[in-house]
Amino acid sequence: MTVKRVYGYLAEFKSASALYKAAEKVRDAGHKKWDCYSPYPIHGLDKAMGMKKSILPYLVFFGGTMGIITAFILAYTTQVVIYPTVVQSKPTNIFTTAAFFPIMFELTILFSGFTTLFGLLALMQLPRLNHPLFESRQFQRATDDGFFIAIEARDPRFSTEETKTLLEDAGGTNLELVEEPAT
Amino acid sequence: MGHFITSKDIPADGEKIAKGKLAMPIMVCGIIALLGLIGSACLLFIDNPAQNEAADTVAGRYAYSWLFAFAFFVSLTLGGAFWLLLHHVSNSGWGVSVRRLMEHLACVFPWMGIIAIPFFFPQVQQHLFEWMNMHRDILGSTTTYANAKEALHYSHDPYDHLLYVKSFYMNLPFWLGRMIFYFIALGAGLFYLRKLSVAQDNDPNPGLERLKTARRRSSWIMIIFGLTATFLVFDLVKALDYKWFSTMYGVAFFAGCVLNGMALLILTTIVLRRAGYLKQVMSPEHHHIMGKLTFAFVVFWAYVSFSQFFLIWYANITEETSYFLLRNTGNWNLASIALVFGHFALPFLFLIRSDVKKKPGLMIPITVYLFILHALDLYIMVAPERGPSLTINSEAGASLMPSGSVIWLDLLAFITVGAFFAYVYLRSLASTSLYPHRDPRILESANLHN
Repeated sequence: MTVKRVYGYLAEFKSASALYKAAEKVRDAGHKKWDCYSPYPIHGLDKAMGMKKSILPYLVFFGGTMGIITAFILAYTTQVVIYPTVVQSKPTNIFTTAAFFPIMFELTILFSGFTTLFGLLALMQLPRLNHPLFESRQFQRATDDGFFIAIEARDPRFSTEETKTLLEDAGGTNLELVEEPAT
Repeated sequence: MGHFITSKDIPADGEKIAKGKLAMPIMVCGIIALLGLIGSACLLFIDNPAQNEAADTVAGRYAYSWLFAFAFFVSLTLGGAFWLLLHHVSNSGWGVSVRRLMEHLACVFPWMGIIAIPFFFPQVQQHLFEWMNMHRDILGSTTTYANAKEALHYSHDPYDHLLYVKSFYMNLPFWLGRMIFYFIALGAGLFYLRKLSVAQDNDPNPGLERLKTARRRSSWIMIIFGLTATFLVFDLVKALDYKWFSTMYGVAFFAGCVLNGMALLILTTIVLRRAGYLKQVMSPEHHHIMGKLTFAFVVFWAYVSFSQFFLIWYANITEETSYFLLRNTGNWNLASIALVFGHFALPFLFLIRSDVKKKPGLMIPITVYLFILHALDLYIMVAPERGPSLTINSEAGASLMPSGSVIWLDLLAFITVGAFFAYVYLRSLASTSLYPHRDPRILESANLHN
């Protein structure tokens, strides 16, 4: 007999506003490892879930700074230090920097863009091939007309009874204990 | 999240600044402006005969101070005009709460025409605009020609061919017509928009009609605004050196206008909120949006200003480089480099965080700082011309700086025009409700969330 590991509790909610109110209750109950699922973005849901600000902006700022430094070093080393390139009697020293600004600007944008994309993927732990919630048949409606909250079993406050009561009190229906697929 | 603002929270008669609260500042500004205007008129016109020649006199030096002060304060009003027109044209909802302040700021623009009056006199023009002197010389010469263009064609001064080619634009009647057009046409448009908006305050059944009219008319006034902001600075500031040209000059000035117009709006709202006004209709969300626009135009200013420098620096054509050659000589170079870091890098790093934009305590210093750097930006546009232009006819030849001290003249002109600006702005702020309280979209704006 294979023992399946419990992923968490899944509950369905009637509407976006019901989901919003339930999210506030789950947040106030002190849960940390949980998430809301809805077919479309809901304004202000991040506040209702008590989510912290993402650290992504700091990563992007760092990436952009690296971009501007890389571009300057690249252009300065090649055009001034290694092989001084005189164009239209322009100086080859620190005052040549004006000519490097377009490159510095472009690399800042490029590096910021890359950091945004890859930082986002890393923070969301994507790409991944499967997700335990896909085991639930009703969860397929999360991309159509279903509003869901799933509280994970690895949440320190998770317990089979209390979590169930919490979700029921918050107005959840079709409660389901989702189990991870056997591997 | 605060509570949801409903129509019960909006006073039916709007919010006015309490009577007498602004009487003292308005009176002080008015007196300073009046004394300053009298003093300035004396400096500009006494012992300053029209000779069609720039001279290194107090009047000559003060003409540049006056132009600098005019450019700074007119840029703030043009910024207000742009935000007002953009608000109407883009049919925006967020800005309804601050629209009345934009209207008041924009409506200071026609009053700046009073400050522009000295530029219409040959006594002042002779120090500022070399091309006018040449036109007048040629028109007053012994041989009479049909018009300035023909006169320029037959004269044999080495510089004159440029003026001949440019004479379709640079001639005295057209210049005069343009100057009058800027203040009358744009001024009338802005007054009309404010009148439309204020009339709504007393309408028991305010509908959408006025908003639609304002939107329709604004698209036309926006065109007038674009022409005014560009060519006003062409005619008054770029024309200081008629040989030089740059098509980005207008948009570089516009970027400064819009940036500092928004900075002044932020400062006004913060001061008003601290005094207990605009509490219901404004929230930190509005400051967030206004801060974002300020941030955007810090970048836009850097983009156009640098592009202007970069293209001229790279192409290295003699006629074009003269502008930056002068501004990279001596101590002007320090000021130019200070702009790169002070006007772009520092505000960029400071404003990049979203929480800074929502904190009034941090936004007050940054707006004041932006004004100072904007003044430096305009000073570098105007003042470096002063020395060479005034001393070109002297016995010792042209020098970088004029012979006398100019700092007190610059300060006097700046304080005078500033006091005049504050007088008009504060008076109009006190005259109406601080926001269009019967605008159908005031609640949408009050409950803004972004």
